[in-house]
Order: sequence, then C-alpha cells, then structure tokens
Amino acid sequence: MKRRSLLTGAAALAAAPLAAPHAQQPVTVRWWYHFDDPTASPAALVADFEKANPGIKVQAESIPWGGGADYDTRLYTALIAGNAPDCGMVKFLNQPRLMEMEALKPLDAWIAAWSGRADISEDLWRLSRAPDGKAYYLPLQYVVLYLYVRQDWFAQKNLSLPTNFDNFLAGAEATTGGDRWGFGLRGGAGGHDHWATFVLGGGAKLGKGGLVSPAALAANRWFIDLFRVKHVFPPSAPSDGFVQTIANMKSGRTAMTIHHIGSANEMVAALGDAITAVPVPRGPGGAGWTDFGDGSNAVFAASKNPEAAWQWIAYLSTAAANVAFNKLAGQVTVTTSGAKGWNAEPQRFLDATVASLPIAATLPPTSQTADFTRTVWPQTTQKALLGQVTPDEMMQTFEKLFFG
Amino acid sequence: MKRTAFTPWLFLAPALVATVLLVLGPVTETLWLSLHDVVLFRPRVRPFVGLGNYIAVLHDPTFWSSLSLSFVWVAVAVGLQFALGLTAALLLNRQFWWRPAARALIIVPWALPSVIIGLIWTWMLDFNLGIINQLGVQFGLLDASVPWLAQPSTAMAAVILAITWQGFPFFCVTLLAGLQSIPREQYEAAAIDGAGPVRSFYYVTIPGLMPVMSTALLLRMIWVANSLDLLLVMTGGGPGTATQTLPLYAFLKAWSGADYGYGSALAVMLTLMLLSVVIFYAVRSRE
Repeated sequence: MKRRSLLTGAAALAAAPLAAPHAQQPVTVRWWYHFDDPTASPAALVADFEKANPGIKVQAESIPWGGGADYDTRLYTALIAGNAPDCGMVKFLNQPRLMEMEALKPLDAWIAAWSGRADISEDLWRLSRAPDGKAYYLPLQYVVLYLYVRQDWFAQKNLSLPTNFDNFLAGAEATTGGDRWGFGLRGGAGGHDHWATFVLGGGAKLGKGGLVSPAALAANRWFIDLFRVKHVFPPSAPSDGFVQTIANMKSGRTAMTIHHIGSANEMVAALGDAITAVPVPRGPGGAGWTDFGDGSNAVFAASKNPEAAWQWIAYLSTAAANVAFNKLAGQVTVTTSGAKGWNAEPQRFLDATVASLPIAATLPPTSQTADFTRTVWPQTTQKALLGQVTPDEMMQTFEKLFFG
Repeated sequence: MKRTAFTPWLFLAPALVATVLLVLGPVTETLWLSLHDVVLFRPRVRPFVGLGNYIAVLHDPTFWSSLSLSFVWVAVAVGLQFALGLTAALLLNRQFWWRPAARALIIVPWALPSVIIGLIWTWMLDFNLGIINQLGVQFGLLDASVPWLAQPSTAMAAVILAITWQGFPFFCVTLLAGLQSIPREQYEAAAIDGAGPVRSFYYVTIPGLMPVMSTALLLRMIWVANSLDLLLVMTGGGPGTATQTLPLYAFLKAWSGADYGYGSALAVMLTLMLLSVVIFYAVRSRE
C-alpha cells in the first residue's frame, strides 16, 4: 500500500464515528504547531486528512517556539484575546497554567470511543492525565534525553562508555585537553535538563525541602565543580545554548553532551560512526533522572468546532499519520504499531531512547515551572558557574521559587 | 475652499487618529495594567493594587542593577556610536574617488535587522568557532580563545561593540548632512583669521553641527535605551544578569514570566525616565 493511501486510510478511520455531521456543513479547524526544523511542513498530512474529511478544512499555523516562551505566551495572549486556535500542540509544562485559565476541553469521552486508543501505551496515557484525573492532552510525540558520546575518543583512552557519575567524570577528565572538553553543558535557557540529570539524578527531590537536603546540596556542588574545579565544560558553557552545544559536539570540541534523537541524524552526518548515544549516567546508588520530552495536542475550550478539532488531532495520533508527523518533527512516534517499523534514525539512537525510559520523568507541573526553566534556572545557574553565588545559594533560590 | 480655525486640525486629523490608536491607547493600557496584579495565565483575577507594583519595583534589587546597567549601556554605546559616526562623517565629507561607494557601504549595518546583527556577532564572538577568537589567536593578539559572551567582564562590552557597529551609520549620515549645510564662507573667514584645522573644527564645525548633533543624540539615546533585541539575541541578559538592562528586565518579566502588571510598572518607570530627557531637550530647544 502506498504511503499516501495509508495516511488517507488512517484519516478516514480516525474520523469515521464523527464524520457524518460535518459532511454538509464545512468547518475550519485552526491548529497551532511548532517544529524544530522551520522548513518542515505538515501540508501533506493536512491534504490527506481533508481528502478523507471533505467537511473539514485544517488551517495549520506554524508558531515560533523560542525555547517555549514565545509559543506559550502567544498561546496565552491568544486565549485571553479570544483569538485562540481550535486546537494546538502543548506540553505537560504548561498544563497547570492552561487549566488555571480553564482553557482546555476534556477529551475523555472522545478518547474512550476512539479506535486508536489501544495503540498508545498505558504509560503515556498515565503521564498525560491531569492532576484532576481528566485527560486534556492527546499524546502526539515524545523524546527522552540521552547522552551523546564520542565513542572513538573513549576507545582511544580505553574507557568504557559512561553509565554512572564516576565513570562519566573519569571520561570527561580524560577527554578534556587542548581545545577539547569532556562535556558540552547548555548553560543558557533550556539547559535545566542537563542540570537535572546530575542534581535530580544525584539525590535532589522535587518536593518541599528536597532541593536543599544534604544530598541535593552535595549533588549540586559536584555539578558546579565540574566547571569551576574540574574544568570539563568549555569556558563558554554559562552562555551556550542549544545551537552552540550541538555545534561544539559536531565540530569535535566536546566529547559528550545531552540531547535527544531529534539531533541524531545531523550528528551522524557530521561524525558518522564516531558518535553514539547511551542513557544519561546514574547517580550514587543507581538513581537516575532524565527528561521526558513530551508533545501532545489539546482542544481549547473556546473552540467553536471542538468535534472537528478532535478529529484532526486524533488523526495525527493515529499510526501511519503519527509516524509521518514525527519524521517531520524529529521526534518519536507514540503509537506502538508505528514504533515497530521505526527507521528514521540509526537504531543505536532509538535503543538509547528506549533504554532511558525507566529513569525518564518531567519537572513538576506547577505554575512556577515555566518561570524556572525560562528565567530562574539560567540566571541563577550562570551566577553559580561564575562564582557570583554559591551552589548552595543556587539551590535555595530554586527551593524558594517552588515551595516558598 | 474657505480656511477656518478648524482647517489645520483637519489636516492633522489622520496623524492624530493614528497617534491616539497606536501610541496613546497602548500607553494608557500599560498604565492601567501597572496598577493591577495581572498574571497572564490568571485572566479572571486581576486585583487593583494601586501603586503596589511601583513600590515593589523600588524595593527590587534587580531593578536597580538593571537601571545602572542601562545607564552604562546608553552612555557607552551612544558615545561610541557618536564618536565613530562623527569621524566617519568628517572623512566622507572629503573628496576622494570612491566616496560614493563608501557612502553606500557605510549604511549597510543600519539597514540590517537587529536579529541578524545579533546572530552574526554571536557567531563571530563564539568561543569555539568564532572568527574573532581564531584571528586573535592566530595573530598573537589573544593568548587563548575568550568566552566573550560568557564572562560578566566582557559580555556587556561585546554587545556594545555590536550595537556600535549597527548604530554608527545613523550618526554618520545625519552628521554628514549637517556638515554639508555649513557654509564654506565660514571656513574661509576662519582661515583668514588664522584658524588652523583644529580651531576651525571647534569654532565652525561643532557650532554648525550642534542642532543636528543634539537631535541625533536625543533620538539615538531613546532608541538605545529602549532597545533589547541585540541583548536578547546575544546574551538573553546573561551571564546571570550581567547584561540585563531595564527594558530587557521588563520584557522578561512580562513576556517570559507572564507577570504583565509588574512588567508594565517597569516599562512605565523607563518611559518616565526617557520623558525627562525629551522634556530637557524640548526646553533647551525653546531657549
């Protein structure tokens, strides 16, 4: 079966129970999305869906991501101004704020009647359920952060690939020298994922008092010392963003960094077999933490066409369409059937992704989390890296933000 | 058509309508927001807090550090742009065969979007891959690569360098126009009185340029004081808060932090400070 007809079939299947009422009354569904690659376009998916659902037009609007801040703030302002889309891509991180705004439409009844439900794992359904027990999010994509490693450099030094903090540090120190550094830290906005691997994985807990416990403070001191004492991060680490950390890895300046499968193909294009990926290192006692990067769709409460919006987002989470969507997005399909034949990236990167799932988690879904990731974490961490505040003061700032 | 007292207002009406809609409306809204506790994701709860946001601003150490950084940002950036612009204008006021090409080329930085300039300079200053570090090391000017944007001691200077490059053509073009409007007879008279190039510069060029200079300086001070695009692209206010000027702090509070009430209060404070510069200029112009 050709890919196009497969997608069309999936679209028809997703829409079947609700297609009839819209057949005679065309409606337009506005959908907001963001891709890491701004040149990627979901036009083929839209065309397939519209072909199977002649009563529905999809107006797909690409919104700048801007590290999350741009997309989220545009969404909030559009919701307040009454000009929000019918549906759009959302993350766990902004669910509390969207719930506080009463902007989300519960999807439970639709999900219960949806034939694609069984193709998404129970773990994903559990993760996407809101604190009030309802389902406002429909899983669309995911990634799990892992550790990129220059396996050729590790082999030259007779080192095994990192599995815990001790052999991570040994590897970082052994590969640091000249104009090379052991680990490319993302110290700019979005780098909280790197910090969390070492500090939450090292004993800190995201509960009251958990960020200032002796174990948490020790883990954070160890993390800051990687830069200030061990010098295994590049001197530019405090201000390096996503682009710099990836460029440093690709140009052979760093031996390790943390990111996800979305950058695997460009890494392989630059470094070939010299690069591989493993789960992020685990802390003392075998504990570990890595970020579960979620992506879902939601229908907004103010939508005038919620059923048509649901049909569109259900289509996007249905097997073949979800695979096609995630090849565009550079992320992993949420469907069990789609994962079986997944070949968008070399197998070793998918293996590292799957092997990281047992320690994958998200930051607590509170109203403070977005402010933490966008502003408080980068500013405070940069100050600690530069010695303007102590590592303990850094953790006290985070504790105060989350728990008062 | 018979002229009445109403006629000038009729001609001004389109500009007045645009000003009310595009300037006074948003300013009034900002003032109103600054008197409320407005958090974007709590649209149904926005209590009136009076001057509460302003009092909080005055007790906020980040406000004071951002304000002092703003003074440094404006004074150094505008000063350098002016000095470079004046030098370039004096050179371009001379006759040489490729002067038309030089005049066209010099405007290029001014014509580029700020975001593009920010990205260009970010990569030129990059620690690992930037050309400035590579050339500096190659020619022995630097012992090793410098993380220009990652050190508090160099980050502000690096962004000021970028905005100086972007802004000096404005001074160059306006001052060049001013130079060309100074009558040649004044220079000839000064020469007859025995004035050399330096004295001619002080007693003819500077007074002749004064009206253009003061207007250009005022405009550029306001633009630079308000600007945050280069800072946002190149450092995001970091490392830490080393380059977080007042408009950037207001932007981050409102846009990233979703705290529109507090962000509006910061913006109003900045506006009041800039208004004082405008009033000083207006009074001085009248004199």
